Amino acid sequence: MLDAFSRAVVNADASTKCIGGDELASLRSFVAEGNRRLDAVNAIASNASCMVSDAIAGMICENQGLIQAGGNCYPNRRMAACLRDGEIILRYVTYALLAGDASVLEDRCLNGLKETYTALGVPATSTVRAVQIMKAQAAAHIKDQPSESFAGAKLRIMGAIVTEDRCASLVAEASSYFDRVIAGLS
Amino acid sequence: MKSVVTTVVTAADAAGRFPSTSDLESVQGSLQRAAARLEAAEKLAGNLDAVAQEAYDACIKKYSYLNNAGEANSTDTFRAKCLRDIKHYMRLINYSLVVGGTGPLDEWGIAGQREVYRALNLPTAPYIEALSFARTRGCAPRDMSAQALVEYNALLDYVINSLS
Repeated sequence: MLDAFSRAVVNADASTKCIGGDELASLRSFVAEGNRRLDAVNAIASNASCMVSDAIAGMICENQGLIQAGGNCYPNRRMAACLRDGEIILRYVTYALLAGDASVLEDRCLNGLKETYTALGVPATSTVRAVQIMKAQAAAHIKDQPSESFAGAKLRIMGAIVTEDRCASLVAEASSYFDRVIAGLS
Repeated sequence: MKSVVTTVVTAADAAGRFPSTSDLESVQGSLQRAAARLEAAEKLAGNLDAVAQEAYDACIKKYSYLNNAGEANSTDTFRAKCLRDIKHYMRLINYSLVVGGTGPLDEWGIAGQREVYRALNLPTAPYIEALSFARTRGCAPRDMSAQALVEYNALLDYVINSLS
């Protein structure tokens, strides 16, 4: 497993170069924006169960067949497995966001996941839909701008100090990890 | 590769939980110290050739028998390889400063080190002398800030200890 720093080291070692100049500049900005990153991780971790249940519920709303007899979220046992998997995927995305590198997500979550789901007959389109919903939720929580019209009475604001650009780079980074999951499943 | 972040993530993953507040505090602690480490890494990267050359010269001066025929520093090829080895350690120290842990040194420098030197019939004392020279050569604030020098020296000590 690598983080942003060891990723730079592994890349430099491939050409036996020292790390200086440009690579250090990008690592310095990683350090300088470290607190934002930790706030982003905290925003996802603190809202995780809500995000997962909403994503799975949204997926089912759009495809009622899943909870009818023969559907992949029927009976409760399989619905529970689905919720558990949603949480696992979100957890590894959170780890990747904390580390600033996708290796933990790739090695420990996505490696063989598609094959496992195919063997178990889990529909890829529904899984991808749930991940897409979590991606949108994660972006909203990192910006600390959850949609009032979608959240209704369940609206939660972290209240962390958010900078004027609303952590655009972290939103993009988190989205790229969700995109990796989507690419890995389809 | 071992660092604060990967240790935290491994522990959280083993317990199957999201990163907790204390996990985030650990990462925050390592980020706070990162500025000094990155400064040391930058200064070392900028002067690596000169630092390695000085250290190499110092160890050959102390162990001049290495220049005798048949010894480890007797031909141009051998000399180039000796200097390359010192540069190699300095580069791994540069990496370890960036990572914030001894991972690169452990994995790429120290693992198997003893066996290699024994197989090639190389003495370890000159390596220690070269690294000890570098250890006492660094000076704050001439070369880098005091905190950066602490981080740099700690890694030199780590390599010296691994060789002795």
